[in-house]
Formats: sequence, structure tokens, C-alpha cells
Amino acid sequence: MEIERYKQDRFCVIQVKGRMDAVSAPEFETACAKCMEQGDTAFVVDLAGLEYISSAGLRAMLVVAKKLKSNNGSISFCSLTPTVERVFSISGFRSMFSVHDSLTKALANS
Amino acid sequence: MKNRGLAFKLVALILSGTAAVFLTAFSYYYRCSEKSVMANVEKNTRNLAHSTVHEIETVLMGVEKPARNFATLLSMGRQETDDVARYTECISSSNPEIFGTAISFEPYAMDRQSYYFLDYCYREADGRLARTRLGSDSYDYFTLDWYQIPKVLDRATWSEPYFDEGGGNIMMATFSVPFYREMDGTREFQGIICVDISLLWLKNIVSALKVYQTGHAFLISRNGTFITHPYSSLIMGHTVFSVAEGSGDDSLRRIGQDMIRGGEGLVALEGNPLSRARAWMYYAPMSSTGWSLAIVIPEDELYSDIRRLGRQVILIGLGGLLLMSVLIVVIANRITKPLRSLACSTVDIARGNLDTELPGIRTGDEIGRLTASFASMRVALKEYITNLTETTAAKEKYESELKIARSIQMSFLPKRFPPIAEKGNFEIFARLEPAREIGGDLYDFSLLDDDHIFFAVGDVSDKGIPAALFMAVVKTLMKGIAEAGMEPSEILKKTNVELCRDNDSMMFVTVFCGVLDLKTGSLRYSNAGHDPPIIIRRDRGTEWLAVPDGLVLGAMEESDYETKEIELRPGDKILVYTDGVTEAMSPGKELYSEVRLMEAVKSSSSDSAEKLTLEIMDAVVEFASGAPQSDDITVLALTFGSPKGPLVAQ
Repeated sequence: MEIERYKQDRFCVIQVKGRMDAVSAPEFETACAKCMEQGDTAFVVDLAGLEYISSAGLRAMLVVAKKLKSNNGSISFCSLTPTVERVFSISGFRSMFSVHDSLTKALANS
Repeated sequence: MKNRGLAFKLVALILSGTAAVFLTAFSYYYRCSEKSVMANVEKNTRNLAHSTVHEIETVLMGVEKPARNFATLLSMGRQETDDVARYTECISSSNPEIFGTAISFEPYAMDRQSYYFLDYCYREADGRLARTRLGSDSYDYFTLDWYQIPKVLDRATWSEPYFDEGGGNIMMATFSVPFYREMDGTREFQGIICVDISLLWLKNIVSALKVYQTGHAFLISRNGTFITHPYSSLIMGHTVFSVAEGSGDDSLRRIGQDMIRGGEGLVALEGNPLSRARAWMYYAPMSSTGWSLAIVIPEDELYSDIRRLGRQVILIGLGGLLLMSVLIVVIANRITKPLRSLACSTVDIARGNLDTELPGIRTGDEIGRLTASFASMRVALKEYITNLTETTAAKEKYESELKIARSIQMSFLPKRFPPIAEKGNFEIFARLEPAREIGGDLYDFSLLDDDHIFFAVGDVSDKGIPAALFMAVVKTLMKGIAEAGMEPSEILKKTNVELCRDNDSMMFVTVFCGVLDLKTGSLRYSNAGHDPPIIIRRDRGTEWLAVPDGLVLGAMEESDYETKEIELRPGDKILVYTDGVTEAMSPGKELYSEVRLMEAVKSSSSDSAEKLTLEIMDAVVEFASGAPQSDDITVLALTFGSPKGPLVAQ
């Protein structure tokens, strides 16, 4: 799994590519922690390149979301691939999180 | 003792190398010395031979000269008898060595009346000269050698040495000179002047030769006869050839031939009667008489000096080698001793006894370094093994604990599936395969009352021990919360609230649960993020169940859930599974997927819940065929009524 972080406007954009499972999920948490250290509170997670996510990955996202919530931050997801979209739907994460079709929309909306 | 071999090898190698070098140098030196000695000897003996030959020939010349002079004189004209007598006296008195002189004439050459004419002047025993006339029928001198040979050869000759019986057995030789007269332009032979000399003086000269300490000299005649020799038995009686034949020495014969041919040179003589031991001989010719002088030096004396020196050098060398070998042994032992003790210790260590102390080496050389390395290696090895043993023990303990944990977990799950015969109004079967010893999947069912059965299937996020613990909590909570009359959505809601409390780890669980009314076949169900189950209707096909939306349990405290309902007819089944089924991966990295699952269910001919469950499980296992199981796999099947029972509910 590859993760890239960059700043766009007031958002910390985190690009995730590859597969997120129990082994790679901690990397996601670390990357988000780094952004939080820099003081960012508005996160956009770009999942355009994410092929697969396991329950461990979902859990990592939940952890980050909870942390942000307690800091009055926000997190949104965008560009979900069909497989990931389905997982989000079934698990109910889709209703729980704010999910957008594209990065542009996510940046505009949050 | 292997290192005895090392020391031994060192000693042997160094010694043989040194010995080889020493021997080579020594033999070269020795050979050069021999050569130089021989060169010297050759020079010296050549000089000696020449000077002796000269000395002898001087004496002989003293005899030849007067004889030749008088021969010339006699050739000049007719002589008177008195003159002839004077001549012989003259010659005889000129040289003390001359024994006698004789002038002999051809028949009637001196005196027309005398057939024989021989005037002989000789020395008596007291030294005084006497004269006589010889020649008669009894003494026909014309046939004698001393007369014939020079006459025929037409020149002066020396005779072979001989013993003179008449004159007291002294060895003598005769010099004969022919004289002639010119008559009418032709030279006519007139007679012989012959002079006898004793050869005693010769013997004295030769035996007086100082040839080193043990050498000697001898003289041989034209025929090879010994004229003088230290072994008097050889004198006159033997020739060099008879000696050679006697001892079977061919080389001596050839040397003898060269000597009488007038050759000169230095030759080696093997042991023979002539000299007993190996010797060197220098021979030189005496041209006047055709004799040959030989000087013999035993090789022992020649080489005695260098041999003695050589022996001393060898002894010194041997002594030195011996000393060296002692030194080398000491040094080799000094070197190999630490090696030996090290080898002993390492044998012990190799056997596994890592506590063996290594010998303490204080030398700074390679052996010291080797020992130091060994010591640190031993310590490191010991540490490593200790660590390994601890780790292995810990791992084994952990694994055994895991096994216990698994059996505890498995005993959580209801294992007793009530056989259909008991009540006849439902059939339930479930199977759970954790990915590791313990897992995060769960299933549960229980009769809320006589007519209602509650069942649930869940999947905790993650795997392993954390998931297992959470799984235990979820199952226990649900069981405690579920009551007769409670809606499935309410069960989920309450369970969720409890789970969200103190959930720092943010674990969550997906759950599908339902309550089946065993009288009416009404199934009320709710879902929290779980995969939709499959409904298998006995006569009306198989389809996915539409599940309500619902967030996973444990994520948000305020989550709300919805209950849905469907009607089941007797024989209908519901199949619930976890994503371990649909996400099972084949070795070719293919997912089992919902599509295959639906196909497997549709094409299944199993009628009982048990058979169906096992069939699906087998299908998934076969699909994965050896690839490692990535997630817990759970399948639960519930049949309303009996599969073959009456179609109408009771």
C-alpha cells in the first residue's frame, strides 16, 4: 500500500493506493497522525487507488475519525472504487461517514 | 596427538630442506676441491716425471755421446788395432757406470786375416779396467741381438735391459752404434760399438724419487717389462701386460700399450697388484731408449687432506642439523602447544559443552587472536542458544496457551445442533473455521421460548487474540440482551450501546441476527454492516435477502437499526455466512465472490441444513486449495420445518 500526503487549501489530503489490510492499516493511522501533529483538522481521504479494504482497514479509519471528532476536526472520503464502495455500504460506514464521488466535490463540500 | 604431527612435519620439512641445501653445497665444494687437487697433482707429477726423465736421459746421453763420437771416428778411416783398443778403454773409463765397451767388426773388416774382431774393455770387480779379445766359433757375435739389431735397423739402439750372469747378476743395458765406411760412394757397414752400462744407478734414481708420502715410480722397457719397481719381484720377470692379464684389468693393458707407444698422460688406476688401492698414474716416455717412466700416487693420499676436511665439515654440518632440529622441535612445540590446548578445548565445545574454558593465551600472534575469537564466539554462541531456548520455550508456552484459548472459544459456540427429530419444526447447523488458532467470527442460536428461535452470525474486525476477546464479549452481550418478544433491531441497538462504552480500541463487529417464529414461519431480522444472507425457498428459487442498512456495532453509540420481516414456508432455508467465504482467495489470487457462492447454493442438491453447510464449506476449501486462509470462515444454515415435511405450517 502506498500513502501520499499533501496540503490543499486548508485540507490535508491523504491519497491511499493498493490494498489496506491488517498489515498495512497501521501505516494509514501513522500518516494521519503526522497530519494531526502539523495541526490539520480537516482531512480528505482520496481512495481512488484503493482496490481492497479489510475490516482492519475499516477499523483504522474509524479510529482516525473518532480522534478527529474529539478534536473538532472533520474527515471525508472520496473516489471510492466499486469494491470499497460495497464494503462501505454493507458495513454502514457509507451512512456514517461523508463520502463524495470526486476529490473536487470533497474539497468543495467539507 | 595430532600436533605431534605438526611439529614433526615442521622439523622434517625444515631439516630435509636444510640438509638438501647443505649437501648440495658440500658436494659441489668437494667436487671442486677434488678437481683442483687433481690439477695440482697433474702439474706436479708432470714436472717430476719430466725432470726424472731428463735426469735419466742425461746419464744415458753420457753413454751415447762418446759411443757415437767414436763411431764417427771409426767411420773416417782404417784403424789400427791399437787405436781400437785405446778407444774402448777411453769409453769405458769415461763413465763409472759403464761396465764395458766393445768394438766389433764385420768379418775381415778390421784385419784381413781376422774373421772375428772384437775388442772388449771392461771393469773388474775391484774397479780396474781389463781388456780381452772375443770372437770365436763358440762366441759368434754376428748373430747376437746387440750386433744384428742395429745393423739391420741401420741406427743406434738401446737393448732391452737384461741380467748379466757373468757380471754378478747386475741389471744392464747395452747401447749399440753401427759405424760405416765410405767406399766408392757407398756407405758400407763396418761394425758395432756397444757399451754396456749397469742400471743400478737407474734403480737408485727412480727409487729415490720422492712421490708424496706413499707414491712410487717405476720404469718399463720398450716391451713393457718392468725395469725398476718397488716390488722387486716384478722386475724383469713381468711385463705390465702380464700384470694386467693376471688381474683381468683391461684398462691397464691399454694404458701399457699407450706407454710403450710413447704416450704421456695422467690416468686413474683401479685397485690392482700394481698399487693395491685406487691410484693415479702419470707416465712419460723416454725417447732415447723407448722406455716409459710412470709415477703412481695412491688416491687416498692425494685426497686425504680434502677428505679429512670434508669429514670434518660433514660432522659440523650434522652437528648443526642436530642442533637445528632440537631448536625447531622446541619452537614447533612452542607454537603448537597453544594450538593443541586450543584444539582440546574446542573439541569439548563442539560436543556442546559451551562452558568449557579456553586456554589463556597471552601471545599477540595469530594463535592469540584465534583463541580470542574462539572465546568471543563461544560466549556469543552461549548467549544465542540461551536466547533461543528461552524464545522457543516462550513460543511453545504461547502456542499451548493458544490451543487452550481455542478450545475455550470453540466451547463458547453452541456445538449441539438439535436434531430435526426432536421438535420437527426447524433444523439448524453451523460451522466455523478460524484463520488462526482463534478467530473473530461468531455464531449463536438459542430458543427464546418454545416458539421462537434467535440466531446470529457475526464478524469482528481483525483477527487473532484481540478479535477473539471481542468476539467473546459480543456473543455474551447478545445472549444476555436477547429476550422473548424483543425485536432484532432492539437487540442490536442495545448491544451496540454496551459495546461502544469503553471501546478505546475501536473494535467493531458486523452482525446479522434474526428471530424465527416456529409456528408461523415469520422471520424477523436486522443487520449491522453484515453481508446479506441467502434465502433458499424449497420450490420458489434462491435469492439474496434484502437487508436493512445498519452501521457496524461498536462504532457509534447513537446508531439506529431496523427490523425487516419475511415469510418462510416449511422447507425454506436461510444461509448466513461471513466474508471469509466470499473473500477466500485461490492460489491464482482469485476471490470466491458472492457470484460463486450463489451458484454453489443454487446448484446444491443438499436438502438438510447440515449437508448444505458442509457442502459450502468444502467448496470454499477446495477453491482456496492450499492457499493460506486469510479470514475466519463461518457458515450457518437454518431450515424452517423439516425439509421433507408438510408444506403447510402447523
